[in-house]
Amino acid sequence: ETNKPVEPAQPTAGMQALRSARFLQVRSELVNYPDGFKSPNPALNQSSKSRGRTYDKDFLLQFQEVFKEKPSVDWDMKLKETVGDSTDSARPQSAR
Amino acid sequence: TEPSTTTEKKSEGDIRTVFDDPENFNVKHPLMNTWTLWFTKPPSGKGDNWNELLKEVISFDSVEEFWGIYSRQNNITPTSDLALKSDYHLFKRGVRPEWEDSQNKHGGKWAFQFKDKKAINIDALWLHVMLAAIGENLEDEDDNEVMGVVVNVRRGFYRIGLWTRTVGKSLPGEAGKGRTAEQGKETLMKIGRRFKAALQLKENEMVEFSGHTDAAHAGSTRAKAKLTA
Repeated sequence: ETNKPVEPAQPTAGMQALRSARFLQVRSELVNYPDGFKSPNPALNQSSKSRGRTYDKDFLLQFQEVFKEKPSVDWDMKLKETVGDSTDSARPQSAR
Repeated sequence: TEPSTTTEKKSEGDIRTVFDDPENFNVKHPLMNTWTLWFTKPPSGKGDNWNELLKEVISFDSVEEFWGIYSRQNNITPTSDLALKSDYHLFKRGVRPEWEDSQNKHGGKWAFQFKDKKAINIDALWLHVMLAAIGENLEDEDDNEVMGVVVNVRRGFYRIGLWTRTVGKSLPGEAGKGRTAEQGKETLMKIGRRFKAALQLKENEMVEFSGHTDAAHAGSTRAKAKLTA
Protein backbone atom coordinates (compact mmCIF):
# COMPACT_ATOMS: atom_id res chain seq x y z
CA GLU A 1 0.00 0.00 0.00
CA THR A 2 1.21 3.45 -0.88
CA ASN A 3 -0.44 5.06 2.01
CA LYS A 4 1.22 8.37 2.85
CA PRO A 5 -0.69 10.60 5.20
CA VAL A 6 0.85 14.01 5.74
CA GLU A 7 1.38 13.26 9.39
CA PRO A 8 1.26 9.67 10.56
CA ALA A 9 -2.10 9.29 12.25
CA GLN A 10 -2.29 7.31 15.46
CA PRO A 11 -5.23 5.05 16.14
CA THR A 12 -7.42 6.44 18.88
CA ALA A 13 -7.99 4.63 22.16
CA GLY A 14 -11.44 3.60 20.95
CA MET A 15 -10.03 2.16 17.71
CA GLN A 16 -7.47 0.19 19.66
CA ALA A 17 -10.10 -1.07 22.10
CA LEU A 18 -12.23 -2.25 19.18
CA ARG A 19 -9.28 -4.08 17.71
CA SER A 20 -8.21 -5.81 20.89
CA ALA A 21 -11.64 -6.52 22.40
CA ARG A 22 -12.74 -10.13 22.35
CA PHE A 23 -16.16 -11.31 21.27
CA LEU A 24 -18.67 -11.53 24.06
CA GLN A 25 -20.31 -14.93 24.44
CA VAL A 26 -23.80 -13.53 24.33
CA ARG A 27 -25.57 -16.68 25.48
CA SER A 28 -23.29 -17.74 28.28
CA GLU A 29 -21.77 -14.57 29.70
CA LEU A 30 -24.10 -12.46 31.76
CA VAL A 31 -23.33 -8.79 31.43
CA ASN A 32 -24.64 -6.18 33.79
CA TYR A 33 -25.13 -3.31 31.43
CA PRO A 34 -24.82 0.09 33.11
CA ASP A 35 -27.98 1.72 34.38
CA GLY A 36 -30.19 2.93 31.61
CA PHE A 37 -28.97 0.39 29.06
CA LYS A 38 -30.96 -2.63 28.08
CA SER A 39 -29.44 -6.01 27.42
CA PRO A 40 -30.16 -7.78 24.14
CA ASN A 41 -33.68 -9.16 24.19
CA PRO A 42 -33.07 -12.44 26.05
CA ALA A 43 -35.91 -14.22 24.27
CA LEU A 44 -34.07 -13.81 20.99
CA ASN A 45 -31.01 -15.64 22.21
CA GLN A 46 -32.40 -18.41 24.41
CA SER A 47 -33.51 -20.92 21.82
CA SER A 48 -31.41 -24.03 22.04
CA LYS A 49 -30.37 -23.72 18.43
CA SER A 50 -29.51 -20.05 18.58
CA ARG A 51 -25.87 -19.12 18.52
CA GLY A 52 -26.82 -16.06 20.52
CA ARG A 53 -26.06 -13.33 18.10
CA THR A 54 -29.50 -11.94 17.51
CA TYR A 55 -30.18 -8.37 18.54
CA ASP A 56 -33.34 -6.31 18.50
CA LYS A 57 -33.43 -2.79 17.14
CA ASP A 58 -33.78 -1.09 20.51
CA PHE A 59 -30.67 -2.80 21.80
CA LEU A 60 -28.67 -1.88 18.69
CA LEU A 61 -29.78 1.75 18.69
CA GLN A 62 -28.28 2.23 22.15
CA PHE A 63 -24.80 2.14 20.63
CA GLN A 64 -25.50 5.03 18.30
CA GLU A 65 -24.52 7.81 20.66
CA VAL A 66 -21.94 5.73 22.53
CA PHE A 67 -19.51 4.42 19.96
CA LYS A 68 -18.41 6.81 17.22
CA GLU A 69 -14.87 5.75 16.42
CA LYS A 70 -13.95 5.64 12.79
CA PRO A 71 -13.07 2.11 11.66
CA SER A 72 -9.45 3.09 10.95
CA VAL A 73 -7.17 6.08 10.72
CA ASP A 74 -7.40 6.02 6.93
CA TRP A 75 -11.20 5.82 6.93
CA ASP A 76 -11.77 9.25 5.40
CA MET A 77 -9.45 8.43 2.53
CA LYS A 78 -11.03 5.06 2.01
CA LEU A 79 -14.48 6.62 1.88
CA LYS A 80 -13.31 9.16 -0.63
CA GLU A 81 -12.06 6.40 -2.89
CA THR A 82 -15.24 4.35 -2.71
CA VAL A 83 -18.27 6.47 -1.94
CA GLY A 84 -16.68 9.76 -2.95
CA ASP A 85 -16.88 12.86 -0.84
CA SER A 86 -20.05 14.76 -0.36
CA THR A 87 -18.74 17.74 -2.27
CA ASP A 88 -19.04 15.81 -5.55
CA SER A 89 -20.65 17.93 -8.19
CA ALA A 90 -23.19 15.19 -8.76
CA ARG A 91 -24.55 15.79 -5.32
CA PRO A 92 -28.22 16.69 -5.48
CA GLN A 93 -29.41 19.91 -3.96
CA SER A 94 -30.59 19.31 -0.48
CA ALA A 95 -33.29 21.64 0.71
CA ARG A 96 -32.94 20.90 4.41
CA THR B 1 -38.76 -6.10 31.65
CA GLU B 2 -35.87 -6.84 33.89
CA PRO B 3 -35.47 -5.44 37.38
CA SER B 4 -32.60 -3.01 37.55
CA THR B 5 -30.35 -3.71 40.47
CA THR B 6 -27.93 -0.94 41.16
CA THR B 7 -26.57 -2.36 44.35
CA GLU B 8 -25.09 -5.53 42.95
CA LYS B 9 -21.46 -5.23 42.01
CA LYS B 10 -20.44 -6.84 38.80
CA SER B 11 -19.40 -10.37 39.37
CA GLU B 12 -17.54 -10.53 36.09
CA GLY B 13 -15.24 -7.67 36.89
CA ASP B 14 -13.23 -8.17 33.77
CA ILE B 15 -16.07 -7.61 31.32
CA ARG B 16 -16.14 -4.02 30.14
CA THR B 17 -18.54 -3.15 27.34
CA VAL B 18 -18.49 -0.03 25.25
CA PHE B 19 -21.25 1.29 27.52
CA ASP B 20 -18.92 1.08 30.50
CA ASP B 21 -15.99 2.69 28.76
CA PRO B 22 -15.99 3.59 25.05
CA GLU B 23 -12.23 4.04 25.09
CA ASN B 24 -11.22 1.01 27.06
CA PHE B 25 -13.77 -1.75 26.53
CA ASN B 26 -12.58 -5.33 26.32
CA VAL B 27 -15.56 -7.16 24.85
CA LYS B 28 -17.53 -6.44 21.69
CA HIS B 29 -20.86 -7.82 20.50
CA PRO B 30 -20.45 -10.38 17.71
CA LEU B 31 -22.75 -10.47 14.71
CA MET B 32 -24.01 -13.78 13.38
CA ASN B 33 -22.51 -12.96 9.99
CA THR B 34 -19.74 -10.83 8.62
CA TRP B 35 -21.30 -8.10 6.45
CA THR B 36 -19.79 -6.16 3.57
CA LEU B 37 -20.91 -2.69 2.59
CA TRP B 38 -20.80 -1.91 -1.14
CA PHE B 39 -21.47 1.30 -3.01
CA THR B 40 -22.58 1.80 -6.60
CA LYS B 41 -21.37 5.07 -8.05
CA PRO B 42 -23.67 6.78 -10.52
CA PRO B 43 -22.48 6.22 -14.09
CA SER B 44 -20.68 9.18 -15.59
CA GLY B 45 -22.35 8.59 -18.94
CA LYS B 46 -19.03 7.84 -20.61
CA GLY B 47 -19.39 4.10 -20.96
CA ASP B 48 -18.27 3.14 -17.48
CA ASN B 49 -17.46 -0.42 -16.67
CA TRP B 50 -19.94 -1.69 -14.09
CA ASN B 51 -17.10 -3.25 -12.15
CA GLU B 52 -15.58 0.15 -11.66
CA LEU B 53 -18.83 1.57 -10.42
CA LEU B 54 -19.47 -1.14 -7.81
CA LYS B 55 -17.01 -0.71 -4.94
CA GLU B 56 -16.49 -2.65 -1.78
CA VAL B 57 -16.30 -0.21 1.12
CA ILE B 58 -15.72 -2.25 4.29
CA SER B 59 -16.54 -5.51 6.08
CA PHE B 60 -17.42 -5.82 9.75
CA ASP B 61 -18.52 -8.46 12.22
CA SER B 62 -19.40 -6.63 15.43
CA VAL B 63 -22.14 -4.25 16.54
CA GLU B 64 -19.53 -1.73 17.63
CA GLU B 65 -17.85 -1.68 14.22
CA PHE B 66 -21.17 -1.12 12.51
CA TRP B 67 -21.75 2.00 14.57
CA GLY B 68 -18.22 3.19 13.96
CA ILE B 69 -19.15 3.23 10.29
CA TYR B 70 -22.67 4.59 10.66
CA SER B 71 -22.48 6.98 13.58
CA ARG B 72 -23.74 10.32 12.36
CA GLN B 73 -20.42 12.06 12.63
CA ASN B 74 -18.34 9.50 10.79
CA ASN B 75 -18.79 10.93 7.39
CA ILE B 76 -20.36 8.13 5.51
CA THR B 77 -22.58 9.97 3.09
CA PRO B 78 -26.23 9.59 4.14
CA THR B 79 -28.51 8.08 1.52
CA SER B 80 -30.43 11.36 1.34
CA ASP B 81 -27.24 13.10 0.15
CA LEU B 82 -26.31 10.58 -2.55
CA ALA B 83 -26.48 11.45 -6.23
CA LEU B 84 -29.19 9.85 -8.37
CA LYS B 85 -28.40 6.32 -9.54
CA SER B 86 -26.32 5.55 -6.43
CA ASP B 87 -26.89 2.41 -4.35
CA TYR B 88 -25.72 1.15 -1.00
CA HIS B 89 -25.65 -2.63 -0.62
CA LEU B 90 -25.12 -4.45 2.66
CA PHE B 91 -24.47 -8.12 1.87
CA LYS B 92 -23.14 -11.13 3.67
CA ARG B 93 -19.43 -11.46 3.08
CA GLY B 94 -18.56 -13.41 -0.03
CA VAL B 95 -21.72 -12.51 -1.94
CA ARG B 96 -21.40 -9.87 -4.62
CA PRO B 97 -24.56 -7.75 -4.81
CA GLU B 98 -25.24 -8.80 -8.41
CA TRP B 99 -27.70 -11.18 -10.02
CA GLU B 100 -24.83 -12.98 -11.68
CA ASP B 101 -23.19 -14.03 -8.43
CA SER B 102 -23.49 -17.81 -8.15
CA GLN B 103 -25.26 -17.42 -4.82
CA ASN B 104 -27.82 -14.99 -6.20
CA LYS B 105 -28.63 -16.42 -9.58
CA HIS B 106 -31.47 -18.63 -8.33
CA GLY B 107 -32.75 -15.94 -6.01
CA GLY B 108 -35.00 -12.94 -5.93
CA LYS B 109 -35.85 -9.90 -3.91
CA TRP B 110 -38.49 -8.30 -1.78
CA ALA B 111 -38.70 -4.60 -2.53
CA PHE B 112 -40.66 -1.45 -1.85
CA GLN B 113 -40.54 1.83 -3.74
CA PHE B 114 -41.00 5.06 -1.83
CA LYS B 115 -42.38 7.32 -4.52
CA ASP B 116 -42.81 10.44 -2.44
CA LYS B 117 -39.17 11.05 -1.59
CA LYS B 118 -39.86 14.12 0.50
CA ALA B 119 -42.48 12.41 2.65
CA ILE B 120 -40.11 9.87 4.18
CA ASN B 121 -36.85 9.79 6.11
CA ILE B 122 -34.85 7.47 3.89
CA ASP B 123 -31.83 7.60 6.20
CA ALA B 124 -33.85 6.28 9.15
CA LEU B 125 -35.57 3.64 7.01
CA TRP B 126 -32.29 2.37 5.57
CA LEU B 127 -30.74 2.32 9.04
CA HIS B 128 -33.63 0.27 10.42
CA VAL B 129 -33.40 -2.21 7.58
CA MET B 130 -29.65 -2.58 8.10
CA LEU B 131 -30.22 -3.12 11.83
CA ALA B 132 -32.82 -5.80 11.10
CA ALA B 133 -30.31 -7.50 8.80
CA ILE B 134 -27.25 -7.45 11.06
CA GLY B 135 -29.36 -8.19 14.16
CA GLU B 136 -30.75 -11.24 12.30
CA ASN B 137 -34.37 -10.23 12.70
CA LEU B 138 -35.34 -10.88 9.07
CA GLU B 139 -35.04 -14.66 9.03
CA ASP B 140 -34.74 -17.56 11.44
CA GLU B 141 -31.43 -19.28 11.87
CA ASP B 142 -32.09 -22.21 9.58
CA ASP B 143 -33.72 -20.26 6.78
CA ASN B 144 -30.49 -19.44 4.99
CA GLU B 145 -32.29 -17.07 2.64
CA VAL B 146 -31.18 -13.50 3.32
CA MET B 147 -28.26 -12.45 1.13
CA GLY B 148 -28.35 -8.74 1.75
CA VAL B 149 -30.24 -5.47 1.63
CA VAL B 150 -29.97 -2.59 -0.79
CA VAL B 151 -31.14 1.00 -1.19
CA ASN B 152 -31.43 2.57 -4.66
CA VAL B 153 -31.54 6.34 -5.17
CA ARG B 154 -33.45 7.18 -8.35
CA ARG B 155 -35.06 10.23 -9.87
CA GLY B 156 -38.62 9.30 -9.02
CA PHE B 157 -38.19 7.14 -5.95
CA TYR B 158 -36.10 5.50 -3.32
CA ARG B 159 -36.29 1.72 -3.32
CA ILE B 160 -35.23 -0.61 -0.52
CA GLY B 161 -34.77 -4.28 -1.34
CA LEU B 162 -33.95 -7.53 0.44
CA TRP B 163 -32.29 -10.22 -1.65
CA THR B 164 -33.00 -13.88 -1.02
CA ARG B 165 -31.08 -16.98 -2.03
CA THR B 166 -34.08 -18.71 -3.62
CA VAL B 167 -37.47 -17.94 -5.07
CA GLY B 168 -38.98 -20.61 -2.83
CA LYS B 169 -37.79 -23.66 -4.74
CA SER B 170 -35.12 -25.90 -3.34
CA LEU B 171 -31.90 -25.46 -5.24
CA PRO B 172 -30.06 -28.00 -7.37
CA GLY B 173 -27.10 -29.47 -5.56
CA GLU B 174 -28.27 -28.51 -2.11
CA ALA B 175 -29.41 -31.87 -0.95
CA GLY B 176 -30.79 -31.98 2.55
CA LYS B 177 -32.11 -28.46 2.36
CA GLY B 178 -35.27 -30.10 1.04
CA ARG B 179 -38.06 -27.65 1.62
CA THR B 180 -41.28 -28.36 -0.17
CA ALA B 181 -42.52 -25.65 -2.50
CA GLU B 182 -45.13 -24.80 0.10
CA GLN B 183 -42.54 -24.47 2.89
CA GLY B 184 -40.24 -22.49 0.64
CA LYS B 185 -43.00 -20.03 -0.16
CA GLU B 186 -43.98 -19.75 3.49
CA THR B 187 -40.37 -18.98 4.44
CA LEU B 188 -40.23 -16.23 1.83
CA MET B 189 -43.57 -14.83 3.00
CA LYS B 190 -42.38 -14.73 6.60
CA ILE B 191 -39.24 -12.88 5.54
CA GLY B 192 -41.37 -10.49 3.46
CA ARG B 193 -43.57 -9.70 6.46
CA ARG B 194 -40.56 -9.04 8.67
CA PHE B 195 -39.03 -6.84 5.98
CA LYS B 196 -42.29 -4.90 5.77
CA ALA B 197 -42.28 -4.45 9.54
CA ALA B 198 -38.67 -3.20 9.48
CA LEU B 199 -39.72 -0.62 6.87
CA GLN B 200 -42.60 0.46 9.13
CA LEU B 201 -45.05 0.23 6.24
CA LYS B 202 -48.79 0.42 6.65
CA GLU B 203 -50.85 -2.69 6.13
CA ASN B 204 -51.99 -1.56 2.69
CA GLU B 205 -48.47 -0.68 1.50
CA MET B 206 -47.34 -3.90 -0.12
CA VAL B 207 -43.79 -5.17 -0.52
CA GLU B 208 -43.39 -7.18 -3.70
CA PHE B 209 -41.25 -10.19 -4.46
CA SER B 210 -39.77 -11.01 -7.85
CA GLY B 211 -37.13 -13.47 -9.05
CA HIS B 212 -33.91 -11.97 -10.40
CA THR B 213 -34.15 -13.86 -13.68
CA ASP B 214 -37.75 -12.72 -14.18
CA ALA B 215 -36.52 -9.18 -13.80
CA ALA B 216 -33.64 -9.78 -16.23
CA HIS B 217 -35.88 -11.28 -18.89
CA ALA B 218 -38.43 -8.53 -18.52
CA GLY B 219 -35.82 -6.04 -19.64
CA SER B 220 -36.82 -2.49 -18.87
CA THR B 221 -40.43 -3.32 -18.15
CA ARG B 222 -41.23 -4.26 -14.60
CA ALA B 223 -41.25 -7.88 -13.70
CA LYS B 224 -44.55 -9.20 -12.54
CA ALA B 225 -44.46 -9.64 -8.80
CA LYS B 226 -44.94 -13.21 -7.69
CA LEU B 227 -45.67 -12.59 -4.06
CA THR B 228 -46.81 -9.65 -2.01
CA ALA B 229 -46.79 -9.11 1.73
